[in-house]
Amino acid sequence: MERRLRKELTNLIKDPPDGIVVDPDKISQNITEWTVDVKGAEGTLYQGEKFTLQFKFGSKYPFDSPQVMFVGKHVPEHPHIYSNGHICLSILSDDWSPALSVQSICLSILSMLSSCSEKKRPPDDMFYVRTASKNPKRTQWLFHDDTV
Amino acid sequence: MSSSDSTFEGSDKKESDNSSASNYECNICFDVARDAVVSMCGHLFCWPCIHRWMTARSGRMTCPVCKADINEDKFIPLYGRNTTDQQDPRKKVPPRPQGQRQESENTNGGGFNLGENFSMSFGIGAFPFGVFSTFNVPDRQGHYGHGHTHGPAPNQDEQFLSKVFLYVAVFFIFWLILA
Ligand SMILES: [Zn+2]
Ligand SMILES: [Zn+2]
Repeated sequence: MERRLRKELTNLIKDPPDGIVVDPDKISQNITEWTVDVKGAEGTLYQGEKFTLQFKFGSKYPFDSPQVMFVGKHVPEHPHIYSNGHICLSILSDDWSPALSVQSICLSILSMLSSCSEKKRPPDDMFYVRTASKNPKRTQWLFHDDTV
Repeated sequence: MSSSDSTFEGSDKKESDNSSASNYECNICFDVARDAVVSMCGHLFCWPCIHRWMTARSGRMTCPVCKADINEDKFIPLYGRNTTDQQDPRKKVPPRPQGQRQESENTNGGGFNLGENFSMSFGIGAFPFGVFSTFNVPDRQGHYGHGHTHGPAPNQDEQFLSKVFLYVAVFFIFWLILA
């Protein structure tokens, strides 16, 4: 698990995809907790905005999905992102595969942002934020087939 | 919220230096595949890695890379030129847990037993065991796309249903024995 994480980290630092910034200094103390900055793509509703994602890896990674959420004051306003930073994205739970990586998760989240046509919170945001556990993996997400 | 982050600009080189070595990396541990096997869809794994994934997800065996159906029997082992160990890597890992094939006194060997990899064999035996072998397979399909409702696990009903089936099957076996 550590070996693969180190490898992912090295690759992300060496060759980061557009819109993804990893600060190695913030990670070096503890390889199982990362923060990754993602930047809204040009020409989308989130252009010029910068957000921070937090990753927590359990000992079963990559066989088990990491815990991923937005942290900090600025959580993107999006119909699948709750104001507490939790993200409703199927690859983070039911559709997780060990072939996915930090990079592919970040890219999925970026493309989720890019395809957004209206900035708004999920309809049940207030309720969810009041009742949800701190760990988004505790939520039993139900994924519908609406594409956004 | 736009801040000037210099690390960020000017990085329009994407996966440019994908050296050929990474073509032989396992899709799970990202290391050069050891005890390499390839699936029918062409994806390379270490046998221990893919085996662990298949056992972790009983019933829903799809390729981690492309979601094609995969099957333990349909992996092809790869042997390089200097491989001294020509043993089939699939034999190295303990076979799948025994849970799926309980032996019973009143099955006469379960019909044709084609060796350790023939996992469906007991489905051919007496009728109640046929029931056993089918309801073990959860018929959950992947949920693609996203939504924004959350609530109880979507498969609770299914779990309940399979429990009911289990009780019915157990009852049926008892009835058979007592009759
Ligand atoms: Zn591997
Ligand atoms: Zn595949």
